[in-house]
Amino acid sequence: MSTSLHLKRAAGRGMLYLGALILAVYSIFPIYWMVASSFRSAREMLTNPTLLPSAITLDNYYSLLEQTDYLRQFANSTIVALSTVFLTMVLSIMIAYGVTRQRMRGKQFIISGMLYAYMFPPLLLAIPLYSMFSVIGLNDTLLSLVISHLTITMPLGVWFLWGFFKTMPFELEEAAMVDGCSRLGAFLRVVLPLSVPGLVTVAIFAFLLSWTDYVFALVMIGSDANKTVPLGLASMVGAFDLRWGDIMAGSTLIALPLFVAFIALSRYFVQGLTAGAIKG
Amino acid sequence: MTRWMLPGFLTIGALATLVLIVGPAIYAISLSFFDRTSLTAEPVWVGFDNFANVLSSGAFWNALWNGFVYAGVAIVLQVVLGIGFALLLHQPFRGRALLRGVAFLPYLLPTVVAVLTFKWMIDGSLGIVTIKMADWGLPPIYWFETESAAMFSVIMVSVWLWTPFVTTTFLAGLQTIPVQLYEAARVDGAGPIRRFFHITLPSLRPILTVIILLRGVWMFNKFDVIWLTTGGGPLGATEHLPVLAYREAFRLFDIGTGAAIATLSFLVLMVIVTIYFWAFPMDDRK
Repeated sequence: MSTSLHLKRAAGRGMLYLGALILAVYSIFPIYWMVASSFRSAREMLTNPTLLPSAITLDNYYSLLEQTDYLRQFANSTIVALSTVFLTMVLSIMIAYGVTRQRMRGKQFIISGMLYAYMFPPLLLAIPLYSMFSVIGLNDTLLSLVISHLTITMPLGVWFLWGFFKTMPFELEEAAMVDGCSRLGAFLRVVLPLSVPGLVTVAIFAFLLSWTDYVFALVMIGSDANKTVPLGLASMVGAFDLRWGDIMAGSTLIALPLFVAFIALSRYFVQGLTAGAIKG
Repeated sequence: MTRWMLPGFLTIGALATLVLIVGPAIYAISLSFFDRTSLTAEPVWVGFDNFANVLSSGAFWNALWNGFVYAGVAIVLQVVLGIGFALLLHQPFRGRALLRGVAFLPYLLPTVVAVLTFKWMIDGSLGIVTIKMADWGLPPIYWFETESAAMFSVIMVSVWLWTPFVTTTFLAGLQTIPVQLYEAARVDGAGPIRRFFHITLPSLRPILTVIILLRGVWMFNKFDVIWLTTGGGPLGATEHLPVLAYREAFRLFDIGTGAAIATLSFLVLMVIVTIYFWAFPMDDRK
């Protein structure tokens, strides 16, 4: 009796670890293959691949930086993503805070507008934005890309921070204001510091969306000088001389900041996803 | 200052909403009532002509159907796999915290990077998958080039990329279910399968309702995986509404038709979401 129970339990453990192994390989293998390929020599890329690169070389990275506009694209991506994060934070903090603290009619309109903006097909926004930008001469600029990204990240930020500020008791600010703080002072010294976890989450997701975006970049950006990394990488595939090693090196470099951010801030990622899922 | 701060915030908010969301949406819808031969040409009012043309074209209905197949199958797979992974990651075992992190990684990858990596893995002559399949004596598969395989392949890439969203949200939900419920059920003699269907699923129903809604909306609107792999081909086998709208507006420079397709796809989505809300009412007391 007890041996069969032991056996059953051991079999259960075995199944569990087998499942864990499958999940690990499934999740990591394509990413591993990308990183490993980026360190292989050009000659090795042409032979039957081994699991580990036989020698690690940075040739692909050198040739990527020398022969393509990668550095420039990386700088463009950085400028666009950081501007998007900054503007998303400023706008969504103001809107979400205003909506939770001000008694007024029609504020439900703003909140439900944000929810519907979630459902807009990006192309339904990209087409008119592109037309508008070309009318005012803003097409093919990094600014046009930042504005396009805001149409996605701002609703996300307002929606998330609205849920966050809503749960924060008014008494906190009232106490600060009784003690002589202005409303702005109470907001800056009491509300914002207490909201840091929510703010970090919004910043992360705004960055993630902007940094990984391909759709808006494809529509808005035409010139090589203003391409972001996703757009630049995608156009390398169409090139006559297809260099997978360079492409994998470029892919690794753009994924790296995201992985580092995830390792440092993983609990905010989980928090953001779950809060978005529960409230959104 | 104090008195004007909140109204000031709200005014800026209303302006930003108008400029960024309401304005473009209205402009997009109005574009669909005009015909313009180029971006600089004077638009000509054509009423519902663009819509009539779109609705009478085979391409639209093909794209709508492909969109349903793509989004529908991808959601089902993401939810089933995601729940399975979440249940696994909820069990205690060594290295669980690490695996939870690893299982999340695909979600972080830019779509372009994931697509390029898969394209490299299945490269016709040098890809690891192609080589291994040849080693094992399997016939080659032209993943993105044949009509039968293309839809399967774009769904697989999408499922790989976005399942972690379901896994992570569902796992977070699992951790909120009181252990006592399971203990009580075990005392009453309920096996693991009954515990799953009678405790886990009902407890997580609100989360699941929202997950399916969000993923459904996003999958229906998802443009980049299909555009970057098949471009809607071969012969329209994977062309869905976003790709069709993009092609009309930016490749054929027919902004009016592109806007009409985008507007129609939004309307379709609204109808589905409304039915969904009616069939699965959200519990708003949370």
